[in-house]
Amino acid sequence: MKKLLIHVFLILAFIFIYLLQSIFFTNFTIAGVKPNLFVILILFIGLYTGRSIATIYGILYGILIDLWIGKTIGITSVCLALVGIIAGIFDKNFSKDNRLIIVFVGALSTIIYEIAVYTLQIFVFEMNVEILAFIKILLLETIYNIFIIIILYPLIRNFGYEVESEIKGDKILTRYF
Amino acid sequence: MEKNKNVGAIGVIITIIILVLLVIFTNKSTENTSIIENIANVVVVPIQNGLTYLKNKINNNDKFFENIETLKAENEQLKQQNSELEKSLREFEVMKTENEQLKQQLNLAEKYTEYTTIPGTIISRDISNYSKTLLINIGSDNGIKENMTVIAEEGLVGYVVSTTPTTAKIQTIVDSASSTSCLTSTTRENMICKGTIENESTLKATNLSIDANVIQGDSVETSGMGGIYTKGIYVGRIKSVSDGTNKIDSYAIIETAVDFDKLETVLVIVQ
Repeated sequence: MKKLLIHVFLILAFIFIYLLQSIFFTNFTIAGVKPNLFVILILFIGLYTGRSIATIYGILYGILIDLWIGKTIGITSVCLALVGIIAGIFDKNFSKDNRLIIVFVGALSTIIYEIAVYTLQIFVFEMNVEILAFIKILLLETIYNIFIIIILYPLIRNFGYEVESEIKGDKILTRYF
Repeated sequence: MEKNKNVGAIGVIITIIILVLLVIFTNKSTENTSIIENIANVVVVPIQNGLTYLKNKINNNDKFFENIETLKAENEQLKQQNSELEKSLREFEVMKTENEQLKQQLNLAEKYTEYTTIPGTIISRDISNYSKTLLINIGSDNGIKENMTVIAEEGLVGYVVSTTPTTAKIQTIVDSASSTSCLTSTTRENMICKGTIENESTLKATNLSIDANVIQGDSVETSGMGGIYTKGIYVGRIKSVSDGTNKIDSYAIIETAVDFDKLETVLVIVQ
């Protein structure tokens, strides 16, 4: 029952973030650049539930985003799934209690996600390559995401451990003890 | 443990403050006063006010404050008047907004009388920093189909990429994946206008012929080639022309007529 509630919450969180991203953050930008809350959401799903669930959610969220506002289906799915895999790797190798590590993983995930999205879009849509403009957007978006991770970290950590103990159960590694 | 919690909370608050300040300062118009000027104002103005008050006192120029009772009564009366005026102002603001929206829709329909159009309102914008697609509140139930041209009062917006019964997805001309075949209105030079990720209000016009005569300030319209956009729809003005390393690389920057940041209502050309 609790597991089902967690999954319902993750779907609701996605809808809430979608609305925030498409309405609120189109105006609340740093020099015209929006953050990417979906990367943060998948990152935390990966860190607290493991690689498989994060990858599935990455694909699911990506399909929904592409269906609602994207130009083609697939690019966002692949890239969010990639974030899920990265988060899963970090979940197995690092402690989630260290805020600095979480900030580092968040920045790294954002950078990898954005490079993957931009590269795929260049090939799929035959876009002009604008390296300098891309680097500017990438840096600002990463900084924005870092700020949001720092702000949300205490809240997500408390909720994350609840989710982790429920989803992983006795599969939690004994590395903390 | 308690100390750690407090430090964490303070850290979060500081981060929020820095983030809000960053958002405000990076989006602030450059025409406004600088940060240094603002800080100087905050520091200097109260001191200046204090000194002026003192000077007035010394020079016996404070006669205004003699009859305090009369002033108090007058103040009360003015306060009451002020609240009544504020109420009327709020009502007026609501009516003004409503009037503007209706006017905008009417103007749009009158301006493009040669086309059969359906007005729609933007309900969602793209979540990514590289794409500029829009979602409007009319769809296949209203007769909207794929590849229909979308315009606004000022000029071309984009075209419909997909529809659902109640919504339609529009790829704007400023989207980095968008290519629009255009020509200049005076010299009739052909060009391909592509969106850039760098700027939301400019297009990069390439594929100019070697002997192209492109004039700065000339207006650009759709050429009708490509089969999506209707011919002769105003796109924008040529902002600058760049020669590149050789003639083949030359390109022009076009400032779009439509302000995509403030765009709220659009028209879909159905016929």
